[in-house]
Parts: sequence; structure tokens; C-alpha cells
Amino acid sequence: MKSLAYSVLLFASLSSSCWAQISTADQLDQQGLAATCANCHGTNGKGLPNASIPLISQLSSEELLAQLLAYKSGNRAGTLMPQLTKGYTDAQLESIANQLGQKP
Amino acid sequence: MNNSRRHFLAHGAAGLSLLGGFSSFARAGLDKAQILVIGGGFGGATAAKYLRLFSNNTANVILIEPNASFLSCPMSNFVVAGMRSMADITSPYDSLTKHHGIKLIRDSVSAIDPDKKTVKLSSGSVIGYDKVVLSPGISLMTNSIEGLAKANQAGVTLQAWKAGPETLMLYKQLAAMHDGGVFAISIPEAPYRCPPGPYERASLVANYLKQHKPKSKVLILDANQDITSKGALFKKAWSEQYSGLIEYLPSHNVTGVDPKTKTLRFEVQDDVRADVLNVLPAMSAGEIAIKTGLANANGRWVNVDFLNFEATATRDIHVLGDAIQTAPLMPKSGHMANQHAKVAAAAIIAQLNDWPINPAPVVNNTCYSFVSEQAAVHIASVHQYDAQAKTFKSVPGAGGLSSEPSNTEASYAWGWAHNIWADTLA
Repeated sequence: MKSLAYSVLLFASLSSSCWAQISTADQLDQQGLAATCANCHGTNGKGLPNASIPLISQLSSEELLAQLLAYKSGNRAGTLMPQLTKGYTDAQLESIANQLGQKP
Repeated sequence: MNNSRRHFLAHGAAGLSLLGGFSSFARAGLDKAQILVIGGGFGGATAAKYLRLFSNNTANVILIEPNASFLSCPMSNFVVAGMRSMADITSPYDSLTKHHGIKLIRDSVSAIDPDKKTVKLSSGSVIGYDKVVLSPGISLMTNSIEGLAKANQAGVTLQAWKAGPETLMLYKQLAAMHDGGVFAISIPEAPYRCPPGPYERASLVANYLKQHKPKSKVLILDANQDITSKGALFKKAWSEQYSGLIEYLPSHNVTGVDPKTKTLRFEVQDDVRADVLNVLPAMSAGEIAIKTGLANANGRWVNVDFLNFEATATRDIHVLGDAIQTAPLMPKSGHMANQHAKVAAAAIIAQLNDWPINPAPVVNNTCYSFVSEQAAVHIASVHQYDAQAKTFKSVPGAGGLSSEPSNTEASYAWGWAHNIWADTLA
């Protein structure tokens, strides 16, 4: 029993340290993915105000995801965005929206 | 360079070298590692900035770049055609220091020693490193065309393909050309930097001629069998807007140039004489990459591991941008170099933190070309990493071209330029 308790404790401790590490690495991956939008929409989605390209950092994550998915499905027309969104998985678009959109 | 600057560099480099020397025995952690970014183009400057952003400003990043300011190749065709000034395509580097704490060394690199993990500057200083991000751009293989090196030196032919003094010189030659003259641009076999760039240049020069010297002509001498990018869109614009002003000759591979008579020779066809000669020779990875032994793809381009852009020839040197052997359908563009930089920066930060590297990076390309001062077209693509093939693959059904040239896209193109300059440099 003692040994089982020890094992559980060890497992909990390992998985917690693993979790912390993976969580941070995940965050980096998410930042890297969202950064693929920055060439056109500005670093962290904060583009130049007079640059003719929509400022996306003012949208909430939900609004951003809805627009990205609308471009991808063809429900929203555009020049580049319908073409680019089709190259990303829905999960990747969600990750981007979470990273760049304003949190409530 | 004044004496106090020399003094700072010599001492600074000695101190830095010591740091690098210690770290060569074992992998330094993120807080101790010294990261040298060589080359401040779209790849290098972006990498420097994002190494700082991705590390919450903890990475120790030094950018080595000989030029005082960044000069953008995208939009430089507007300068060639007299529609913008050099100031319009120039951005300062000091924002990278002010906003992101990146150390700047204004110098070029004369040698990299991957065994000792040191970099030698042209001024003579030696700096140690844990990681190098090398973004050396391209070298122009002027020796691939007989007589070109001398003709370029004499200013009889210009390349203006690396934005700089030749960009403005080419405009001056165009402005000095008589009405009825011929402006010839020659294009090497792909791959070369910026596939649609020469066709955009031809379009904007034709736009200039239409207004100022309508009896003149642009002659495009293309070593390729057809236009290498946005072909149908360019051809449509040329026939609608520049009828008689642009002549396109495919499969014309320049082999020699006679600067006295301003004549170009070809493999097969008859010689061509022109008044302004914009000769683009074959290209390779920037000289320092070749000199360091990194160009293991036909001796011209650098093979990299696409998960972190580390050169396959050696460890801890990550190569970006136009210098690499690209993945299939991945163009050599400024936008793509910026995207490479972000993948490499994230991977380097992960490595130095002892975290797993992102196993599924994504990059995209967006490239606008102007067919006139007011109208532009685009090409776009998305590339997902394929773990089995160990390369990026463009996603089928994604990406594509404009339906037609438009003013709206011209407006987006300028928006793109200002935002990517800021994303790279500000």
C-alpha cells in the first residue's frame, strides 16, 4: 500500500512537471503559428493603423475564429484570406484566434 | 569608423568570445547562450526580433549587418521606374535595439568556424557563439556570363537585384535613355530570388515609358521557357496596357555581354543590342554560406532541416531565406524568409530551453506584384510540414492567384509592405 501511494505520488509529480513543461512549449508553438499572420497583419496582430489591411487585434478570439472559418468555407469573400485559410486546419485557425484575439 | 568605436568593438568582441568559448563544451541554457544573427534582411532581422519576443526578451541576441539601414527589395521596382524614392524603401535598424534590446554590430562576417564556434568579422574581431542564424541572401554569379563582371564594374550593365545604389542608378539610366530606346532585362533559369520580380519590373518600366518615352520598348529576355510566376496575369496586363511596349522572349539564356556595343549573346539565338541593360545572372546562396561549406545542394544552395532550419552540413548554424534549397513550390521571397525566421527562432528557443521542437510548423507565402502604378496582383500559398517526407508541402486547394489586376490589391500590397517592414524591423 505504501509503495502504491509512493507510485501515485511519483506519477503525480512527474506528470505535473511534464505538464508545466509541455504547457510552455505549447505556448511557444501557438505563438509561432500565430506569427505566420504577422507579415500582413502586424506583430501580434497589431498592424499599422493606416496600412489598408484590417486590424485584427481589436476582435475577440470568438469573432476572429468565426471570420477565419467563414473565409475557409467560402461564406465570406476576399482576395487572399479565402486562399490562405484553406491551408490551415480548423484547430490551427482556432489556435491563431485564441492567440491574437482579445480575451473577454 | 572612429577610434572609440573600434575600441568598443575590440573589447566587446573579446568579452563575447570568452562567453562563447565556455559554452562550446556543453549546450548553454537560454539565459547563457549567445546567439549571433548574421545578415539583417527579411530573414535575419525577423529572426533577431522573434528570438527576443519568443523568449520574453531573455535571449542574448546580436545582429551583425554591414549596412546602416534596411533596404527593401520588395517595392524597389517603384524606385527603378521613378515612382518612389530610396527613402520610401529604407527602414532603420535601430528600432531593433530600442524596442527589443538586440545588440547591433555594423560589420560583415569574413569567416565562420563551425568547429571552434566562432565568427570572424571583417574588422578582425572574433566572436564566439552557441547558435548562429545565418541569413546571407544571394550571391550573383557574374562569372556565369562572359564579360558580365567587367560590364557591371564599369556600370554599363546593372543588376539592381540587391536593393542599394544600383536601384537608383538603373532609374537614372532609364531616365537618360532616348525616346525610342530599348530597356532589356534578362532573367536566369529558376530558382532565383523573387520569381515574379523581373516581370513586375518590366511592367513598371513600361508604365514609365508609356508616360515619358512612348516610342521605347522593354525587352524581356527569359532563360526560362515561360514566365515563372503569375504568367497569365502578367500577359493579360501586357496585352491590355502595354501593347507594343513590352516584348517577351522566352528560352533566351544570356551567355555573354559586350559592354562596348551593349550587346547580349545567347546560347542559340541572335545577338540583342539594347540601350539599358539590366542583366540578372544565375544566383546562389550568399558567399559566406558557400565559404563555410554549407551549400551542399549543387554547391549553390544550403540544405536545411525544415523543423529548425539548421544547415544539414553542420550543427548550430540555422540558415534562412533565399540562401536555402527550398521545399517544393516554396518561393525565394522576402515574405517566406520572414516566415522561415519565425520557425527557426521558435525552434532555437525550444532547443535552448530543452523543450521539444514544434513537430508541425506551418509557413505561408504572400506575394504582390504591380502590373502598373495603380494595380497589383497576388500569389499565395500555405506550406505544412510533412514529417514523413521531412519537408514542407504546399497544401492542395489552398493558395492561388488574383482573378485580375485591381486597385484594391494595390492598396493591400502597400499595406503588406508597411506591415512586413514593421514586423521585421520595428
